[in-house]
Order: sequence, then structure tokens, then C-alpha cells
Amino acid sequence: MKLLGKHLDKDGSGYVTLRPDDDEDIWHLYNLIQEGDRVRASAVRRVQNVSATGSIESHRVRLNLTLAVARVTWSPSTAAAGEAASFSTDASTSTSAPAHAATLHISGRVTSENPHVKMGAFHTLDVEVNRDVRIEKDEGGWDSIALGRVEESCVPGRGAEVAAIVCGEGTATFCLLSQHMTMVMHRLEVSIPRKIAANSGAHEKGLTRFYSALFTSFLRHIPYSSPTIRAIVIASPGWVRDAVFDYIMAEATRTGNKALLSTRNKFIKVHVTSPHVHSLVEVLKSPEIASQLKETKFAREGIMLDKFFKMLGADEMRAWYGPVHVALAADRGAIGTLLISDDLFRASDPIMRKKYVQLVEDARQKNAEVLIFSSMHESGQPILTFPLDVEVVEAEEREAKEEEERRKQAEENGEDVNAG
Amino acid sequence: MSRHRDVRNINVADELDDGAVSDGGEEDLSPQEYEQLMSGLDHIRATVGSQEQSGLSDKEIKDTLYHYFFNVEQSINYLLEAQTRKIAARERKAAKEREKAEKLAQQKKAAEASAKLPPAKPKKATGAKLSGASTPVRSTDIRQLDLAGLNLDDETVLPIDEPPPKITVAREKVLEEARKQLEGNADKKTVSLVVIGHVDAGKSTLMGRLLYELGRVDDKTRKAHERASSKIGKSSFSWAWELDGTTEERERGITMDIALQSFATPRRQITILDAPGHRDFIPNMISGASQADCALLVVDAAVGEFEAGFERGGQTREHLLLVRSLGVSQVVIAINKLDQVQWSQARYKEICKLLRPFLIQSGFHPSKTKFVPVGAMAGVNLVARDGDEAQALNAWYSGPTLCDLLDELEPPTRDLDAPLRFPVANVFRTPSSVIAVSGRVCGGLVQVGERLRIVPGDETAVVKAIESEEERLEWAAAGSNVTLHLTAVDPRHITIGSVLCPPTDVVPLVTSFTARIIVFDIQVPITAGTSVELFHHSRDVPASISKLLATLDRASGTVLRKNPRSGEKHVGRGANYTSQHNRFWPYSPSTTDPLRAILCQQGNGEDSHSSWRRDNRSRYRNRIELSL
Repeated sequence: MKLLGKHLDKDGSGYVTLRPDDDEDIWHLYNLIQEGDRVRASAVRRVQNVSATGSIESHRVRLNLTLAVARVTWSPSTAAAGEAASFSTDASTSTSAPAHAATLHISGRVTSENPHVKMGAFHTLDVEVNRDVRIEKDEGGWDSIALGRVEESCVPGRGAEVAAIVCGEGTATFCLLSQHMTMVMHRLEVSIPRKIAANSGAHEKGLTRFYSALFTSFLRHIPYSSPTIRAIVIASPGWVRDAVFDYIMAEATRTGNKALLSTRNKFIKVHVTSPHVHSLVEVLKSPEIASQLKETKFAREGIMLDKFFKMLGADEMRAWYGPVHVALAADRGAIGTLLISDDLFRASDPIMRKKYVQLVEDARQKNAEVLIFSSMHESGQPILTFPLDVEVVEAEEREAKEEEERRKQAEENGEDVNAG
Repeated sequence: MSRHRDVRNINVADELDDGAVSDGGEEDLSPQEYEQLMSGLDHIRATVGSQEQSGLSDKEIKDTLYHYFFNVEQSINYLLEAQTRKIAARERKAAKEREKAEKLAQQKKAAEASAKLPPAKPKKATGAKLSGASTPVRSTDIRQLDLAGLNLDDETVLPIDEPPPKITVAREKVLEEARKQLEGNADKKTVSLVVIGHVDAGKSTLMGRLLYELGRVDDKTRKAHERASSKIGKSSFSWAWELDGTTEERERGITMDIALQSFATPRRQITILDAPGHRDFIPNMISGASQADCALLVVDAAVGEFEAGFERGGQTREHLLLVRSLGVSQVVIAINKLDQVQWSQARYKEICKLLRPFLIQSGFHPSKTKFVPVGAMAGVNLVARDGDEAQALNAWYSGPTLCDLLDELEPPTRDLDAPLRFPVANVFRTPSSVIAVSGRVCGGLVQVGERLRIVPGDETAVVKAIESEEERLEWAAAGSNVTLHLTAVDPRHITIGSVLCPPTDVVPLVTSFTARIIVFDIQVPITAGTSVELFHHSRDVPASISKLLATLDRASGTVLRKNPRSGEKHVGRGANYTSQHNRFWPYSPSTTDPLRAILCQQGNGEDSHSSWRRDNRSRYRNRIELSL
């Protein structure tokens, strides 16, 4: 994303003009734009003119409109298409080009005067890549979280991506992982007859069918030759990953696909325990990957979450989660690391958002590390359905004692809430 | 209006024919006459049913109407008569064809029988099967005809594929027969057995050898396996090759998927499911264990090997917990590879001593757990204990052989009155390209000719034949592992994990449910949002925990704490699960199908020094209390 203009007042009102470059930027915009903001972007609108004689002439006009946002919707459309195909047994694929799949729609009333559109008329803006968007927020709208996201999204050269194929016998999911998103490009399901002692031919035939379907999907959905792809991960339980890798390389040699053959050293085979997408978490934790992607955001998220859960298992007093408990810990300044889902900052209720922003700012002031998780990482999705994580890393004995008390208090509080 | 509709139904060829041959074509009719003809046709159609049902074409009806000067009643009478005649003729023809087919089949059977068995049983089966398949359609027609003749209903069209009455009558008989077989002592009782244990404990080898000892494998195949396995330098796996059929399994020397075989002991007909021991193939092992009544645990007695399998994270421990969770209560423990410790009695006793407390702790009753020392490679103490190899064992052991113990396995009670539940464990095509599914009948019974619903999905299939151990059956009751041959279905609608059930009693589908789970040994506590995998029969669904409702006391089930923060170790808890991606999960809330599924938390990397150890899966047993 490019930052084209920025005009902010001290009270946190003002506007920012941005130009999205790719799908991930669209995701950033989705996180920035909130209900009540004013968004100015180019739009195409059908305008009708009624002449004196009553004949109606209509034509399309490209114009810039400013909307007071009423609703923002975002969809990673490839994931949706893949979902639909997931239960079918054949390898037919969606026809949509995977290049720019994510869409963002902003609907609301027009607030600025315009020769073609009346004030107060409804319009829905389709935000597209490479078209400027101006976001204007009211007083206090540009808080640290929002500004942080603008800054983060405008860092050049952060486009490192990882392609991952999570597969089992007969199933494969093609994903693209970027800093803030996991996009499921395609899901493939081929039914393979299981082994029968008498004739194993059917099983092997099914396997070959599966590999060839996987190869075609791989060519279609994974931009393997793109320089931004840092690694191509093949993850599976058992030995499927070896077979898949061998098949891909054999096919590449057979078809003389030089581009693919030259990416040979980008492939990484990782052992995971399940053939489902959620095992991407395991992929990120595996030493092969962690060393390669240590500095990337999503690898850090995976590592931190893992640490949190281990802490929860080992010493429950030091790992807290849930809004009530975390708020209590924040009050005492006991937070060492705060893990928080960006989903919360998209809350339509501004008071809720303010509360969470306050929490993050407080924690930062006390030198705590704050990690904002992306809810668009499929790997993290189920985990982040609960609102907040706190990891209390400072473990001085005095504090531990205090926490003990607090925990009791928290328990009481928790139960009060339940009763109420 | 009616005219417009019928113009579409008119058979163009018929119309042209009319014009060419007879001079009484519709073109010659006056508009009024044509109107009369068409409304008459409508009337008659409403009474006799559509062309497919009645077997009467539009042309026939029109001709009749014309003949009777558009008198509808007279025409109907004539047409119904004609229809009965037609049906009778067709039935005669069908009977002839059937006879022909029967003769052919007989000849074939006779040819086969000359080499094998007396043909009495299969012959009967073929005859009955054919009549079952061909009569229903016709009999519905006759009934429909009678109804139509009474002029009771104008519009209603009876569904064509109603369950054929012949089968419904026979069902009671079948039920009686099935009951007799289950209770009667005369016939051999059937038991299915899952073979479990740590990787390389010798499960497949033991089974391969046992099949050979019992005469299920001939010398020729055995020699072929020996030759082929030594050729690739894996001669120690030659016995296992009987069960490890795929090239990959043979090359790696490891079982990857369930192998199904069967054999007979003096008093039991035993189906064995040889499970993979490797932890990566746990889903396959669960699929096999959910088809079994009893378990055979194979333990490696070699020094260090037993300990590796039994320590935390070993499959001996994990498999035992899993099969117990899936409702298996009888277990035979075969202490294998005792030849590697010079048939030491001390070692045998030591292993038994270590296993016993764990078995009790896992919920196996001591009276239902039996230990037996064996040497699979040499075939010692499988069926008999004679020969040189067994001398060392004979010195201190005089108990039953493995075969004797298997002969004593008691099949659990089967519920025949429950609606049919058939979870599909495999879908394939037979050599004759018929779609076949294999699995175990979990409840109720299934008959040839029955129409079954496939869940999830909106498709049905008709059972063409039932096969068990290369033998054709007329029906199969709860507890039997069979292969069903299906017709009238596209194979893409059946996947491994689907459930077949009667169309009248469909398995409900759920996307979220409340369950009581028992947490086993886990390292990372579960919280709301934890990703889990759900295994139920052969199905494997990703899911996540949406809410922890309460912590329960394991023994009494009383609520210890509401809304717990996280699941600690070894506590039963109520939790709410939601399936991801809206994948439906069929299960049946009935007593026949053990309402048990395995939840498996995502692997949490702990000690990553060896790649197989990285995954420390933990499993919870769960009992579903609420549905929908």
C-alpha cells in the first residue's frame, strides 16, 4: 500500500489517502474502515437524465464519491469457491482467476455534493487494487491501532509469501500465507478406494488420479515462479508429502517445466499430524519453517500462541485469557505479552473498540509486548474465537503472590458475571 | 390450457405415423372433436397414470377414444383390460428371461462347483434375488391399476419406488432367522477383532502366520511372498505381506491401512481387522477399531521395545485407550517375540505385571483381559505348541494357545430392532465394475433389494447383493462385516465415511453439539477455540471447541465448576463443539451405535528431536449427550 496523503489533527480526526497494491492491502483497508467513517473513492454510477419531452437517457459516469460508511463487507472469494468444491469428488476447479480475489464493498450514503448524484443517496463502493481511497475519521478515530496498521501496511517490500499444500491421502488444500492473511486457494478431494487384501490395483490407481489432480491444481493455484514466494511447503502426515513432491518434480521434468524445476530448492517438506488446514499451525512451528520465516509476522504469531498454551499447561497462573481476566491483569500492570485478535478492533461498537485500544495502549506504556493477531490466518482462526490472550511473562515471586490473590478475585468476578 | 400441455407430450413419430398409415389422423378431426379427444385423453391419463406407469401410449388412448366416439368411461374400461393383458404378457416374457438367466447361472455355478463347493446354496440365492428385484415394479402397477379402476383418486400418482411389498413380508422372517442365528448355539458365532499395538510389534506378521496355520493361506502364496520379500531385502516381513497388500506398504515394511481377513476357529467365525501401528495412521486404526467387537493387543517382548511402546506417547498405551473409548471391552494380549528373550518367563511376567494396572485403569475388566505368550515368526503357541521351537515355552507354560483364547471371545449383544446404520469404510468397484461399499452393520439389518439413503447427501442406492467372505448372503444383521454391492447410484455420492440408512429413518446431521468429554493424558490444556479433529467410524472432521460448559466429576458426573477457564488433566468436562467449514457430521443417537467419537487435539510439538515424536496428540473420549 502507498500512503499518498495524510492530514491529522491533534484530536485524532482527519484523513489518510491510500492506494492498495494487492489483496492484503484490501484486507488492511477492511480493518481500517469503520462504520461512521467517510470514505472517498472513485465509483461508477449509472446516471439517468429525464429530458423535457420525458425520454430517459441513462449513461455510466465515473466519478469520485464520498460515503458515510454504513456497512463494510469483505470476502476472500477463492476460499469461498474452494469451499463449494470441497465435497465433490472430481478435481474440477473454479474458473475465477486467483490473482485478485479478495473484494471489499463499502456501502453508505453519499455525503458530498456532486453534479450527478444527490446527497443522501445510497451507493456501494467496490474497492479495487490501484485505486486511491481516502478515509476520513472523526475525532479520536485515528487511534494508535489504526495508525499502526497504516504504517505497517505501507512498509515496502514486505511481500514475502509462503505457499503451502496441506495434504493427506485423497485430500489437499492449497494455501497462500502472507503477513496478515492465509488464503485458501483451493481444496481438492479425490476419493481413493482403500486397500483390499485381494486387489491393491484400485488403491494405486486412485492414488495416481489424486496426484495428477493435485499437480494440475498446483500449477493453477500456486504462483511458484513468483519471486515473492519464499517457500513452498508440502505438509502431510505419513509419507504423502514425499510422494507428492516426487510426483511434482517428475511431472515437471516430463513436461519440461523449467520454471518449476528451478524452484526445486524452495520446496520444504514438513510433517504434520492431520491433513486439515488447521495443521498449518504445526507447519509454522516446525523447525524447518521457523528458521526460514523467523522474522515474519505469522511465524511469530504461531510461536507466541504455542508459548501461551504451553504456559497455560505448565503454570496456569501466568497465562490468562478472556476479557474479564485480562482486564483485571491489565489493571495491575501484570501483562508481559498481550496477544489480541484484530477481530476485536473491527467491532462496530465504538465504545468496545475504544476499550480494547485503551488496553493495548496501557500495555505498551508498561513496556509489554503487544501482538495483534490476524483473524485472517486460517491457522489461527479457531484459536482466536476467544477474545483475548494474555501472557504474563514477568514472574517475580512477589507478583506471583499478588496474582494468586487476583486470581481468586477474578474467579469471584467471573462467577458474578455468570450469575448475573 | 390442457391442449397446450399435451401438445408437448405428443410423440411426433406417432403423429406422423398416424398421418401416413391411417386416414383417421388428428388432422381430419373437427375442432370440437379434437377438443373432446384431448380432454378425454386428460381424463384417462388421470385415471390410468402416466405412460411409464400404465404402459399405455397416448396414441393407444386416442385410438380407443376415437373408437368409442369419445366416451371416456367405455374407453377406460377397454384400456384397463388391454393393460392387464399387456402386463400378463410382459410378465410371461420376464419369467422366461428369468428362467434363462437362472439356467445360465446354474450352468456357471455348476462349472465352478465341479472345482469347489456343492452349488445348492448359491443357486437358491440367485433365484430369490432375481424375483426380488424384478417383481416389485410390476406389483405396484397392478395395485395402482386396481385403485385406478375404482376411480377413487383423480390426481394422486403413487410413487414408483415404494419399498417392494415382497421384501417387507420377508423382513419378519429374516429378523426371526437372524435372531435364531445370534442366539442359537448350533451355528458359529461371528466376532470381529481388531489387532492393535505399537509399530513393529508384529501385528501383521502374527496375523499372517495365524492365517497360514489355520489353513487360510496356501503354501503357494506363502512361498511367493517369501521369495518376493527376500528379493527386496525384507524377508522378515514375508508373513505380513498377506495383509499388507499395497506396494508402498511392502516397500516400507509397515502397515498403513486396515486389512480385513477372516478365519474360523472351532466355535467362532472371526473377522480380523489388522490395524496400522504407526501414529500417523491413527485415523485408519480408529476406522478399523470402530468396526470391531474385541481387540487383540500385540506387545513386543524384546528388551527396550516393549518399554518404547508402553511409555508415554507409545502406541500400546494409546491404542488401548482408543479401543476402550470406542466400546471394546474384551482384549486378548499376545506377548510376541518372546523368542528374542529366550522364552524367558520372567520377562513375560514382568510385562504382564506392567500392563495389568494400566488395563484396569483404562477400564478393562480383569476377567475380560487374557494374556498369552506367542512367537509369531516361528508360529509358536498360535494354534499349537508342538515342535522344537516351542520346547522352551512348554517348560513353563501350559495355558491356552492364542487360538483357544480367540475361540472363547463372546460377541456383544446385537440390536436387530434398531434402524439400519451402515457406516461406509471403503468404496470401490468390484472386478465386474459394480459399485461396492464395505463396512460393518452397526444396527438393524440389511437385505438384498432394499433401497438405502446415503447420508450426508440426498441420494439413494439399491442393495444388489451382499457379500461376506466371498459368499453371497440374502441379508446381513448388526455386527457383521460385509460388502454391499449397490446399483442405481453414482459412485461420487458415496464417500468413505458416509452412512447408509433406511430412507424412513435417516441419521440426523449436525454441525454443532454438546458432548461430555473425558480428557486423557494431555500436555496442553484445552480452551475454548482449541482445534480438534473428530473421528467417528471412518469419518474425520476438523472441529473446534466453542465453549467449555462445566467441569464434571469423572465418577459421579456432578458439576464441579461452571464455565471453567481451561480443561485440566484427567477431568471429565462438558463442552460444546462446532464443526469447521460447515461440514456435516452424521451420527445416530441410538443405543446400537456406540455414541462415541474420538477427539484429537492438534499436535503440539514438544520434543522435536525425532520427527515421529514431534506430534504429541492427545485424545479425549467423548460421549454425546445432546444432539441438534
